Amino acid sequence: MQAANRRKTIGLLMGMGVLMWCVVYAALTYFGGSGAGIVPIAVGIALISVWGSYYGSDKLVLTMTGAKLIQESDNPKLFDLIQEITIASGLPMPKVAVVIDDAPNAFATGRNPEHALIAFTTGILDVMDRDQLQGVIAHELAHVANRDTLVSAVAATTAGAIAIVSDMLTRMMFFGGRRDRDSNANPIALVISLVILILAPLAAVMLKSAISRKRESLADATAVSFTRNPAGLRSALEVLAADSTVVQQRSTAVAHIWIESPLDAKSVSKMFSTHPPIQERIAVLKSMESLG
Amino acid sequence: MELIIGLAAVALIAVFFISQYNRLIRLNITVDEAWAQIEVQLKRRADLIPNLVETVKGYAKHEQSTFDAVITARAKATTASTVADTAAADGMLTQALRGLLAVAEAYPDLKASANFMSLQEELATTENKVAFSRQFYNDNVRSLNTAVKTIPSSFFAGFAKVTEREFYEVEDPQDRNVPNVSFN
Repeated sequence: MQAANRRKTIGLLMGMGVLMWCVVYAALTYFGGSGAGIVPIAVGIALISVWGSYYGSDKLVLTMTGAKLIQESDNPKLFDLIQEITIASGLPMPKVAVVIDDAPNAFATGRNPEHALIAFTTGILDVMDRDQLQGVIAHELAHVANRDTLVSAVAATTAGAIAIVSDMLTRMMFFGGRRDRDSNANPIALVISLVILILAPLAAVMLKSAISRKRESLADATAVSFTRNPAGLRSALEVLAADSTVVQQRSTAVAHIWIESPLDAKSVSKMFSTHPPIQERIAVLKSMESLG
Repeated sequence: MELIIGLAAVALIAVFFISQYNRLIRLNITVDEAWAQIEVQLKRRADLIPNLVETVKGYAKHEQSTFDAVITARAKATTASTVADTAAADGMLTQALRGLLAVAEAYPDLKASANFMSLQEELATTENKVAFSRQFYNDNVRSLNTAVKTIPSSFFAGFAKVTEREFYEVEDPQDRNVPNVSFN
């Protein structure tokens, strides 16, 4: 289960690489040498913007979601539960934060386990019992253990770079056109590269969402390997599924980090959502329960 | 040219040796740390017990045999040192504590007291921590033992002075109770 999800993530990341390569190839075919200069610039811009936020993810997300760090004395019971999972997983104790929001939800971030941060809405702390909360904590710490902040940063960088490249090149098409018109390029190859340039950003976003969905399934599986209790996380997800309130802030930039997506309800289709359908996740956990 | 290829081959082999050796050492250290974690949590539980026994005693004076069982089990648990001894004492104490909590069920005043409720929460989380530290230890022992027994890491086990480690197996009579299955 975990191994399969990891393989699929690697496959999807490789898909990103192939897509990037296609874009570069298309740029070269269409624009000749002048297109090549764009690629390192685009990759550079994407790298700086994404990796800056990756490195400071714990602090950045705090300000973006309005989460407040809390100490052990503020909520000893929650800290006890988190300590249980750190013992089960062998991870260091993360920083803990609370978001004042009635919608039940939680997230984890941080560039590595040593800088991990997990946050809970006041809603989730009020509505969930011990076992459910333990499942949620295990899911969040599973993200930390699987280094999902890194995985999504890599995905975001490539998707960003592809978007920038194709954006710049489409602009060049309108304004400058092809510089080397007299070159004897094959017209079919030109049409294909044009199509690639236009569709690539869309494909990149779809790949990025697919990676995010795989990481969610993986985190569910890893969480069960920590608690050995699929029923806890399953009933927690049932609570989340039954609840229709949504976290107040709906910034797309941080949508993927929550345990239940605040955006997917209005998502165009399954191809673009950052989380697998919650009923599907519940069904997978149920099948694990019958195994144990 | 041959010299460069030769040097590269030697370097590759050296990297392989070092990584195998380090992996075994790392696994061994993780098992040690996991064992230390079990001891920390068992100590935490042992420290809770006198308080818990006193609280229950305040309401249920006539349950001396239950108290004695808990206290003897605690004494055994705090003196055990080997993996097998610790595991056996741990199982006994878990059993005795279950008896103590069952006694508490019969005294509504005790169950309602704030002191008992906070102790119960404390005990619940400690029991979970003990269980999770056992699970983490056993998982790591499993990876270490697999590494010691499988090729290629098995070739380096002697050199790294890493041997198979003992699993932490709790003797819990309740786990042994096979459910009755009838086919009619």
